[in-house]
Amino acid sequence: MVKLVAIAGSIGEQSYNRMLLEFIRDHFKKTVDIEILDINDVPMFNEDEDHNDNPVVHELARKISGANGVILATPEHNHTVPAAMKNIIEWLSNNVHPLDGKAVWIVGASYHTQGSSRAQLHLKQILESPGVNAYVMPGNEFLLSNAKEAFDADGNLKDARTVSFLESVLKKFLTFMKVIEMMDAPDPKNAHEEDMDSKHPVNTTVQDVDMTDPEWVEKAAEKTHAASGGDYVKLDRGLLTVDQLNYFLNSMAGELTFADDNNQFIYYNHNADGAHMLAGRTPDQVGDPLSAVHPDRVVEHVKQVLYALRTGESDVVSMPAQTGPNQHVMHYYRAMRDENRRYRGVNELVIDIMPILKYYLAATGQKLVKDPDAVPMSPITGLDAVTGASAHSTPATDATSGASASKSAEKPVEKPATDATSGASESSSEAAPAAAEEPVDTDALTGASEETTTDYTATEDSAPAKQPEVKPEPEATDTDATTGASQS
Amino acid sequence: MKKFVALVGTNTVKSTNRKLLKYMQKRYAEDAEIEVVELKGLPIFKKTEEVFIPQQARDIAEKIDASDGVIIGTPEYDHSIPALLSSALAWLSYGIHPLMDKPVMIVGTSYGTLGASRAQAQLRQILDSPELKATVLPSSEFLLGHSLQAFDENGDLVSATESQKLDGLFDDFLEFVALTEQLDNSKKLHEQEAANFTWDNGTTGDDK
Repeated sequence: MVKLVAIAGSIGEQSYNRMLLEFIRDHFKKTVDIEILDINDVPMFNEDEDHNDNPVVHELARKISGANGVILATPEHNHTVPAAMKNIIEWLSNNVHPLDGKAVWIVGASYHTQGSSRAQLHLKQILESPGVNAYVMPGNEFLLSNAKEAFDADGNLKDARTVSFLESVLKKFLTFMKVIEMMDAPDPKNAHEEDMDSKHPVNTTVQDVDMTDPEWVEKAAEKTHAASGGDYVKLDRGLLTVDQLNYFLNSMAGELTFADDNNQFIYYNHNADGAHMLAGRTPDQVGDPLSAVHPDRVVEHVKQVLYALRTGESDVVSMPAQTGPNQHVMHYYRAMRDENRRYRGVNELVIDIMPILKYYLAATGQKLVKDPDAVPMSPITGLDAVTGASAHSTPATDATSGASASKSAEKPVEKPATDATSGASESSSEAAPAAAEEPVDTDALTGASEETTTDYTATEDSAPAKQPEVKPEPEATDTDATTGASQS
Repeated sequence: MKKFVALVGTNTVKSTNRKLLKYMQKRYAEDAEIEVVELKGLPIFKKTEEVFIPQQARDIAEKIDASDGVIIGTPEYDHSIPALLSSALAWLSYGIHPLMDKPVMIVGTSYGTLGASRAQAQLRQILDSPELKATVLPSSEFLLGHSLQAFDENGDLVSATESQKLDGLFDDFLEFVALTEQLDNSKKLHEQEAANFTWDNGTTGDDK
């Protein structure tokens, strides 16, 4: 659900603006999740003081950063916003800038007929100043006048027309928020324009930390006051501590890499050192722009993969890397999208599918034989739509962080991937238009022996006794150790 | 000799507005006695059930009451006056009304080129609100841009153009103060309105 934070601008005991926010929160709880933040304990802003000493300011900044949008409810004092409201904005525009690029909706309640109109105008001006740089929803002013008479004993707005107007404005704000969230989405016109140097920050980009710094993770974590260790993280769907999330991701049956929509390499599940990974990565590389972790010769290919995913031409691009009798490593690049369907980066899974294949054959009593009628196909899927050519013109093995290749001199990294990439690119120059007639099989990538890497067809072996194992009865086999129990 | 209270609109030690007010104090020592008053230390304005005004605000109110006029030096934070100054003005209109019909001169400095222009415009609007109703020197803006380079080591303004402009404005302010002493027709009404004002019922002023 969309998450908003709301702040009432006055810190007096009786606040109709707080009541208004509470009403909005409760009345629309099925549509949005609104958390009202308390600003009572924020000290007076002083530019000589370091905000890092103040946990209250921290917490405010963190909550605002994590929200999709912000509602500010302001009364009017002396024709302007209350000092308490201005004060938090000063803190939030000095060392930290959580309102930067954030969608803001201003509402106001007042005792009088004019309902905080001047204060709202001042607040708008303040929020649009360069240090704050929020996006205030234009028009749609919500001014609740005569606030004393507006609520019933349960804190509900009495006037049905006011409630329905409020609802219509909230709806517009939800749309406005989507538009704002799309505003910083990189929009390359073609694959070539993909920015591999990550120079177009998005709203999740951690600013003012050198991307190539070997300690990028530590520095960016400090900057964002990142959750860690025992801190809980609410997920879709579940609740884990950061530690638990790490146990979970690090025990995945594959290597996972996250490159965001600014093409910045920001995560991999670090459960082995680079030399023992299928696609080697090292801790110091995290934070790098994708250009820093790929050799120049593959950059255009990587761009094609990214562009195909970003534009939605493909949801998944897959390609083989190391292949041989005992190994068939696949790289799967999946587009990640947010609730607005905006592209938020690439999820790369590197996994050796040979154990799966071998298990399947053994469990079903089958073996591999060569298929004389096999229709030749490209080992790469998901790129045709973009390039208009067959996939072997664009084998960009390890599109997210072909870390391996660029830093191979100093780092223990996957040699085969490097070879695979260059070998394939060479073949691409001749083979591109004639792909169908002249298929390049996996040999082209690794030079692996023919028997094990050509097209497979599974055939049944004469072992019917083993058949039941394909679809085991729930009672007979514990198919789902963690959740199956409750079902049976 | 006229007595003025000069309010430093910010709490930072490196304030160039404080510098400017101290410069004015020194430069116009023969024409007026200017006391530079700090707002630093004032709590954020807060309404309470029982009206409570911090002692520091009461002290400032007394000084203003005893003065012939007020000079406010404001920087610009986020296109607006600092929360500290806003808070001070809220305290100074919470059941007490030291600024009512008091002549006020606004000056402002900024590190950039604009010299707190937006903050000054907002400050005028604020001072015009029914609970404050100060009498602000009209058609006068002293916006000192690039204020970090504006003073020499003696605290004097480097630019002769700027100091001449300030001299002119200050002379105008002295005459304005004399003039406003005659503007007492609406004074009684303002005082009455302020006395009637409560936060619950609002004002009898322009809100109606």
